[in-house]
Amino acid sequence: MPYYRCVVPKDSVPYDQRAAVAKAFTDIHCGNTGAPRSFVHVVFDEADDRWETPYFLDGGNRAGRSEEVKAELLSDLIGAFREITGVAPEAFSGRITEGPAKWTMEGGMVLPEPGEETEEWYSHGQAAAGG
Amino acid sequence: MSRVSFNCTMQEGQIGEETRVELAVALQQITQDVLGESPDDVPVTFSDIPSGFGFRGGEPSTTSLVRGSIVGGVTQDVREDFMRRICDCWMEISGCTVDELVVSARDV
Repeated sequence: MPYYRCVVPKDSVPYDQRAAVAKAFTDIHCGNTGAPRSFVHVVFDEADDRWETPYFLDGGNRAGRSEEVKAELLSDLIGAFREITGVAPEAFSGRITEGPAKWTMEGGMVLPEPGEETEEWYSHGQAAAGG
Repeated sequence: MSRVSFNCTMQEGQIGEETRVELAVALQQITQDVLGESPDDVPVTFSDIPSGFGFRGGEPSTTSLVRGSIVGGVTQDVREDFMRRICDCWMEISGCTVDELVVSARDV
């Protein structure tokens, strides 16, 4: 976690834009939350899911952050996606759902609750990213 | 209705069909050992993320995600034992590293 799934129409977002969005999402998430970069997952899905808009961000995060942080995060992510892809504002929307951190194991460690991250966890995240 | 199910998502080309069969059997065995469910009642599905569509840390991803769902839930001690065993067996069978695997076990 986090896991950001971008539902997009088939052949609508080329690789260079997908890579740019993935990097931007990682920058934004880490900038807003302080999470290690290696924990940010971004996936593009040319699925036939039906959402409110043709392009949709279906994000999943650890529960426990303030409403203000969550709203800012979603706004920044949507803004970055639109800026990189040129998708019209009315064509892209999104949501971020949350689940308990303790339900997930990543890097062999149970995820800590937001605000309860340890040095060991940060160190592992940096090592996993090769940095 | 199955009490426990798995949805496994992998990066395209990383895990072959024979290995998937092994992984599915291992997940079912762990579920029986930890939660007492019959292997026949534990559905396991696999899906691939096409090359160039999955990223981690802003770079192309090699990570697999194993998502387990447990109807009725379990205690955290049991959940952690369950997830730890899944991590260990997945790494052993697939050859991936601990940093190429995310396991979740959520209550539903």
